[in-house]
Amino acid sequence: MITDEHIAYISKDLHYRGIVEEQVQNEMLDHLCELVDTNMKNGQRFIEAYESALTSLGYSDGLLQTQSLIIKSENPNPLTMLQNYITVAWRNLNKHKAYSLINVFGLAVGLAACLIIGLYIYEEFQYDRYNDKAGRIYRVEAHAKLGANQFDMTYRSAAEAHDLQLSYPEIETTVRFRQMGSYLVKTAEGNENIKESNVIWSDSTFFKVFSIPVLEGNARTALAEPQGVAISKRIADKYYPGKSALGETIILDNVRYGKVTAVYENIPSTSHFHFDIIIGVVGDWPISREALRSDYLTENFITYLLLRSGADASALEAKLPEFVKQHVGPALASAIGGDFTFDKFLAQGNQYRVSLRPLLDIHLHSNLKGEFESNGSITYLYVLGAVGLVILLIACINFVNLSTARSSTRAKEVGIRKAMGSLRVHLIRQFLTESLIVSTAGFMGALLLAWLFLPLFNNLAQRNLSLPWSNAMFMPFISVSAICVGVMAGLYPAFVLSAFKPAKVLKGERVPTTSISAFRSALVVGQLALSVLFTIGAAAITQQLRYIQQKNLGFDKDQVIIVHDTYALRPNNVKPFKEEVLKLAGITTGTVSGYVPVEIENAGRNNSTFWEEGKGPTDEHIVSFQQWSGDDDYIRTFGMQIVAGRDFSRDLKSDDRSVIVNEAAVQQFGMKDPIGRRIYEFDVSARGQEREAPYTIIGVIKDFHFTTMRETIMPLGIFPGETDGSVSFRFQSGDPKDLTSRIEQVWKKLAPGQPFNFSFLDADYANMYEAENKLARIFTIFSALAIFIACLGLFALASLTAQQRTREIGIRKALGATVQSILLLLIKDFGKLVLIAFALSAPIAHYAVSQWLSSYAYKTGIGLSLYLTVGGIISLITLFAVLFQSVRAATASPVASLRNE
Amino acid sequence: MATELTDQHSSELLKGTLQLIILKLLSDNASMYGYEITQRVRELSEDTIMLTEGSLYPTLHRLVADGLLKTETVQMGKRIRKYYSLTRQGKKSVTSKVEEFTSFVRTMSLVLNIKPNLLG
Repeated sequence: MITDEHIAYISKDLHYRGIVEEQVQNEMLDHLCELVDTNMKNGQRFIEAYESALTSLGYSDGLLQTQSLIIKSENPNPLTMLQNYITVAWRNLNKHKAYSLINVFGLAVGLAACLIIGLYIYEEFQYDRYNDKAGRIYRVEAHAKLGANQFDMTYRSAAEAHDLQLSYPEIETTVRFRQMGSYLVKTAEGNENIKESNVIWSDSTFFKVFSIPVLEGNARTALAEPQGVAISKRIADKYYPGKSALGETIILDNVRYGKVTAVYENIPSTSHFHFDIIIGVVGDWPISREALRSDYLTENFITYLLLRSGADASALEAKLPEFVKQHVGPALASAIGGDFTFDKFLAQGNQYRVSLRPLLDIHLHSNLKGEFESNGSITYLYVLGAVGLVILLIACINFVNLSTARSSTRAKEVGIRKAMGSLRVHLIRQFLTESLIVSTAGFMGALLLAWLFLPLFNNLAQRNLSLPWSNAMFMPFISVSAICVGVMAGLYPAFVLSAFKPAKVLKGERVPTTSISAFRSALVVGQLALSVLFTIGAAAITQQLRYIQQKNLGFDKDQVIIVHDTYALRPNNVKPFKEEVLKLAGITTGTVSGYVPVEIENAGRNNSTFWEEGKGPTDEHIVSFQQWSGDDDYIRTFGMQIVAGRDFSRDLKSDDRSVIVNEAAVQQFGMKDPIGRRIYEFDVSARGQEREAPYTIIGVIKDFHFTTMRETIMPLGIFPGETDGSVSFRFQSGDPKDLTSRIEQVWKKLAPGQPFNFSFLDADYANMYEAENKLARIFTIFSALAIFIACLGLFALASLTAQQRTREIGIRKALGATVQSILLLLIKDFGKLVLIAFALSAPIAHYAVSQWLSSYAYKTGIGLSLYLTVGGIISLITLFAVLFQSVRAATASPVASLRNE
Repeated sequence: MATELTDQHSSELLKGTLQLIILKLLSDNASMYGYEITQRVRELSEDTIMLTEGSLYPTLHRLVADGLLKTETVQMGKRIRKYYSLTRQGKKSVTSKVEEFTSFVRTMSLVLNIKPNLLG
């Protein structure tokens, strides 16, 4: 017979096995007792009887399954439980409004930053993908090393495209481009010229290789017609509004009369070129004739290959050295002369290599001489992506920290729930629901923030990004991300909290918090370390930019105005223009020269090679040289400094074969006393036979920066002459607006109908560092965001800590501790974390910063002071975040705090 | 999983009939408790149908939730026993459910061309 002890035993065992629902427990107990009773009547001992009864019920698994089936059959609506989770979660979040808000807000800010960065990166990867044949298009690039000079460029000889196609059947077709800078454009009826920068000369195969839809005209023949010009829709609408542009006349630079043979769809913004006007290289125009040249080493064309489907680009590339030897070799031989052989040329450490770059690699991976536009940079994307992830990480850390920090308050809840029969899995679900609610709210906030701040970011990054609502993948992606973030951020707290033993926490035993708080401290250190890293990065970039702005450039960039495209004054008005402007009040000097000491579009740059008289044009004596031309006012206008010799004389003619070089040139030539020395130009087209007369060095100017600070100052020579690319004037202080309008009046008189383009030298200089400026701004903004989110977390964490230590603080105060000593106690902990974070991130930051700076030939020294400043600032900010709550806790009356606990 | 059987009946076949078995039993006996039901089914089926707790109790609770059964608990010393009995609604449905099943079996025998002797 079954006894009461047996029943009690079974009851306990059932509870132990997780049968906690009262109804189920009673029913199972009764059922089991009956079974056991029957078994015992059949002569079994209790323990055997119970064992076989359990067997028939399937032990714990079977029992639990039955329990859950019973619960389910009573609640046919499966959402009931979920509803309950959500209700409870909502109540919990509502009870701690401040923390919930901080959680949601921090997450939203982090996610918004991440989202914007994600959109930016996504767009960067879309470049050139609009081309159907993108995978088969390759650009031909050259890498040459001659003596000490390395050239990496996209420029190829006119004949190469054709010869390549003849030699290698895997090439389906080729297309060449020839850049000639901007053009002045007008229609047959119009008399106002407008400057257009996106003008290119190209082969008729353009539309075959690139997938640009042609709206009007025949794509196949448009560029094959002599004087045929294809224009974008933008240009068609601009010049021929309200009518078909097809067949209309388009006048370029006042002299070339083209016929519009095609109107094509505007080239997508995600393209590495944005040509608005494409001129066919056929017919009798100079560029068309150049396109027919069959000689090598006159490298002006940018060549793209379209390979046949299935062709192996790397196999083709492997054949190219032979091609180079066969075609470029003879040209090099006749240029260099002597007993040249290509093998010997290579053996001397020289190089002439041709490579193929996939179209899709151009935007993010290429930065050669002769790019159509300045490309993106994959490194930059990596950095940006890392920044986005780090911000997200910091926001998630906040979430984890705040949840576990509340563990001691929630421990009791966990205890009671477990005692009431909650299973661990129920608690995990409960906590995950809470974190999912927070993360969903965070994502919605993020979408709102991203929508609000995208215009600002677009402005900063010069983009036109928008939230892709219309993309079918966008909302699913956002939802899945919200769930992932919610689960990942909620997982740790859920598992830690649900593991509490009810008996312990309910008896008031301390929760084993040390391991949790160690984990929390580690996370805080991580957050702070990342913030410090960002801040040092931002500070270093800013410092380098300031260095660039303030460095003595060797010329005076302030108060110089450059009037561009002065070739529009041809043939007779260039000089008169200069003379007329010089008569204006406030203008001190002016110079006619296309060569300006900043890198801007159309700034003349001309590389040549020279050697000193008496030394011969051998490798060790030739010096690669910037060959500029300027008049007698050039050096005075730009404010360069003559360190030896003299400037050009008023009468340029008498200085015809003279040159003023910079110090770098003197050093390269190895001259001790340069004045009066004579140098020869190494002329490829002279084929090493007849030589022009040498140039006599009459002056030496101090080195000045004419390219970015990334490059060392290279040898440069100013030769007497006037090039009408631009006319620059130095002016005295005064209203620059008034000045430009007065210059414009002169321009209008002398060049009626031509566009007046001007810029200020200092602004042009600043523009050279646009990329750095962008980087600095983005870094500053995102590091500020990172710090903000981290501090938000710290603030909440500090207030929780203070709250949890209320009793301790009360007792300390009752025993006579001062407010200061308690403040110190509270702050000390966080101070330690800041120190550790700083010690961790400073070396990494140092390494990263020196890596970045190493790309500059001229760079600022990053001293200890920068690290100390950043450390100070971060400490101060965290101090403020922590101080607020700590002061409240420390000044609270101990009577109140002790009574309440 | 529904019903543990000897190899004479497939569990698939009996799945839908469990509710009917319970209802019929309770209409023949005023009130029964879980263990009693398993034993009675076993006797009546001559040891061929062995109800498992995993299917019996969820079905009982389901019938209670549907309003066909009502329960009554009786304290039995240290344990509590729960008796199930038919509600008025339950009583009504038994007749119609038994008829429904009988006509279903008849139809099935016609379709399958068998003559089960218990139907006469």
